[in-house]
Amino acid sequence: MPGPLQRVRVLDFGWVLAGAIPGMILADMGAQVIKVETRQRLDYMRQGRPLIGEERDAELNPMFHNVNRSKQSITLNTTKPEAIDLARRLAGHCDVVIENFSPGVMDRLGLGYADLRQHKPDIIMVSISSNGQTGPLRDLRAYAPSIGAMAGLDSTLGYEGERPLGLKHAYADITGALHAVFAVTASLLNRKKTGQGRYIDLSMLRATVATMGFGLSEYAMTGRVMEPKGNYDPVMAPYNNYPCLGEDKWVSIAVRTEQEWQGLVQAMGNPEWAAEENFISKFQRLRHRKELDRDIAAWTSSRTATDATQILQSHGVAAAPVMDAEERLADPHFQERGLYQEIEHPSLGQEPVFNLMWGLSRTPSAIRRHAPLLGEHNQQVFGDILGMSQIEIEALEESQVLW
Amino acid sequence: MTYNLLEGLRVLELGQFISAPYCGKLLADMGAQVTKIEPPGAGDWARQYGPFLNDDPHPERSGTFLYLNSNKQGITLNLATPTGQGILAELVSCADVLVHNLHPLEMDDLGVSYEAISRNNPNIVMASITPFGLTGPNRNHIAYDINLAAAGGICQGLGSADREPLTFGTPQVGYFAGAAAASSIMMALLAGEPGQHIDIAEVESMAGVYNGSEALMAVYQWRATRRTGHHAMDFPYPNCILRCKDGYIFVGAPEGRQWRKLLELMGDPPWSQEPRFRNRTDMNNHYADEVDGYVEVWLTEHTKAELLDLALEHRVPLAPVRGYDEVRYDASLSDLFQDFDRRDTGPISFPGSPFQIKDVPQSNPSPAPYLGQHNPDVYCDTLGYSKEHLVKLYQTGII
Repeated sequence: MPGPLQRVRVLDFGWVLAGAIPGMILADMGAQVIKVETRQRLDYMRQGRPLIGEERDAELNPMFHNVNRSKQSITLNTTKPEAIDLARRLAGHCDVVIENFSPGVMDRLGLGYADLRQHKPDIIMVSISSNGQTGPLRDLRAYAPSIGAMAGLDSTLGYEGERPLGLKHAYADITGALHAVFAVTASLLNRKKTGQGRYIDLSMLRATVATMGFGLSEYAMTGRVMEPKGNYDPVMAPYNNYPCLGEDKWVSIAVRTEQEWQGLVQAMGNPEWAAEENFISKFQRLRHRKELDRDIAAWTSSRTATDATQILQSHGVAAAPVMDAEERLADPHFQERGLYQEIEHPSLGQEPVFNLMWGLSRTPSAIRRHAPLLGEHNQQVFGDILGMSQIEIEALEESQVLW
Repeated sequence: MTYNLLEGLRVLELGQFISAPYCGKLLADMGAQVTKIEPPGAGDWARQYGPFLNDDPHPERSGTFLYLNSNKQGITLNLATPTGQGILAELVSCADVLVHNLHPLEMDDLGVSYEAISRNNPNIVMASITPFGLTGPNRNHIAYDINLAAAGGICQGLGSADREPLTFGTPQVGYFAGAAAASSIMMALLAGEPGQHIDIAEVESMAGVYNGSEALMAVYQWRATRRTGHHAMDFPYPNCILRCKDGYIFVGAPEGRQWRKLLELMGDPPWSQEPRFRNRTDMNNHYADEVDGYVEVWLTEHTKAELLDLALEHRVPLAPVRGYDEVRYDASLSDLFQDFDRRDTGPISFPGSPFQIKDVPQSNPSPAPYLGQHNPDVYCDTLGYSKEHLVKLYQTGII
């Protein structure tokens, strides 16, 4: 089935994670996404780990394959003026341009918004950066963990009264990518009505700060600055991960309403401790949450995380196992919904790729093809879109313009 | 500030807490007309969640609610009654989009299935944000933020090896699901197909795009998701939060030249020449605690502000771990924060639209609605009910 963006064409200079994911999403949704790469400076994701085999190989990185599937790849050596000219001509046939180079790089290359809109007046361009295209932090070298630290996210992540730990995930890359996709698609929708192009300056810091609702509210409303509190929620007790049978296995349990509490008590077989004064009301349970955690842990410890989850859910209690990657791959719910899909890559063979999972009933997303080989679509893209001949394209590859 | 890119788009939101309200907020901040429907009485449970202004608890002064619902209209409607469901049908017939985060069981109970909704408006785009999605064996499971983070792969690697796995310090999962829903709605409208039902599972907003590629670790036995405190395994050292003079600082150096520059700033200390530190990934995996001590000798001589200046000057990835007061007063974000002024609260500062879109007219944001504030506007002006009718609906607990 065709995706919702089947008539949209994207010139994608995005790389690594925050820059690659927006193009991945648009491509899964049916857009023709042309990833612009160069052998002069390979996408880090093509070179990094995991290493398959002994040698680094630009075609053997499964992380790259995940976030660049459904795209096409062309090579343009932007140190050559002819390549810049080709990029501009391609932009003239595109609807969207994505980039996440350091601020100022696209302008310096002659590929900034002012240049590209001359070739396509209604182009929609998004520049994704750590701290925006202007302002005092514009040139800060920053990665996703830097942004998590600066946005306040890390300041509450840790055990109570202890040091902040930092997040092991690329939180800010994903918030940046998701907000970029929204701004681009809202601009596309607006363009249908107005015919207007747009330039979107997407700061990952701003996008991440926008998701800090509670921490910022706490400061705005009370003047207090939050610190690590472990697994804590202001209105829920229990709210924690509890030990289960097996090595390092845990189940998460959260209770908000009185009805859920009654469900929990029943699921545990109405233990005497649950009727004690300390746990008699939500107010009491919040006050005595540490004792409560100990008693619940005694119940969970003799069960597997899956069993505990099933019993609790059947009593209307929010519970889920703490899952690692292997468990998510094997999970019957995720399997039935198709969270992971095996695809065939010419260099790596069968490999798992996560699905987008944004289910549109009439125009579903789909993994359109495996991640492209470096420059795999030079012939197709320059031939079909710019009408260049095979010989012309080969000559440009020879002279390292398409490189 | 709000943009006008989605002017004319009519959105109904049946949202509670974060996910659907954040979706509604993204749409509203882009100029859509978002009508938030709350149950009469208590309203959205974010109103009870706080934090409350000056610690005076009141459903109109909850920060979580006020932040997530600015720029929206607010009405009340009791969907547990046939009359309420009939009114919803009328509202649906003059809307383009419906976004909700009712649980699948509530959807059935309250007549908010896609079948029922599309009967009243076959062109409507309906987005359902649910904990586990609308299909699959866990469809009816209930979940809060920690459960979604646990099943979504966030907790397993967070914390210390011998202690409980951690989740986010504040509820975060709903933001990812809300953003996914907002983009999906844009795409459904772009598709030009009349009517669509969008299925967004909150747990998959974590397990999919957020960290879906972590599954590769299992397949290729690469980086283990075990808990290693403030260090992450199998990265080149440093990639962690360390102490400095007045707090904590993130120190990273994925590129060799960045690490050499950091050593230079430290005065090229002798320990850095030791052969066992030649490979930075080994250094991270085997000697991280020891090296933390060496690096912190230098870091603790400097404040966060000084280190940020050094980072800017020498292009090394140092980033202060900031509290929310520091975020609020970051000079580079001065135009992000906006005052939302209501007569009972006075101006309260929250982030406005995180987007910077060139040459688009912007208008001043309006604060979140009081419970049922726009009942007369929507029921009388839009649906054409008489005032008498409105009063009857109120007296009978429908609105």
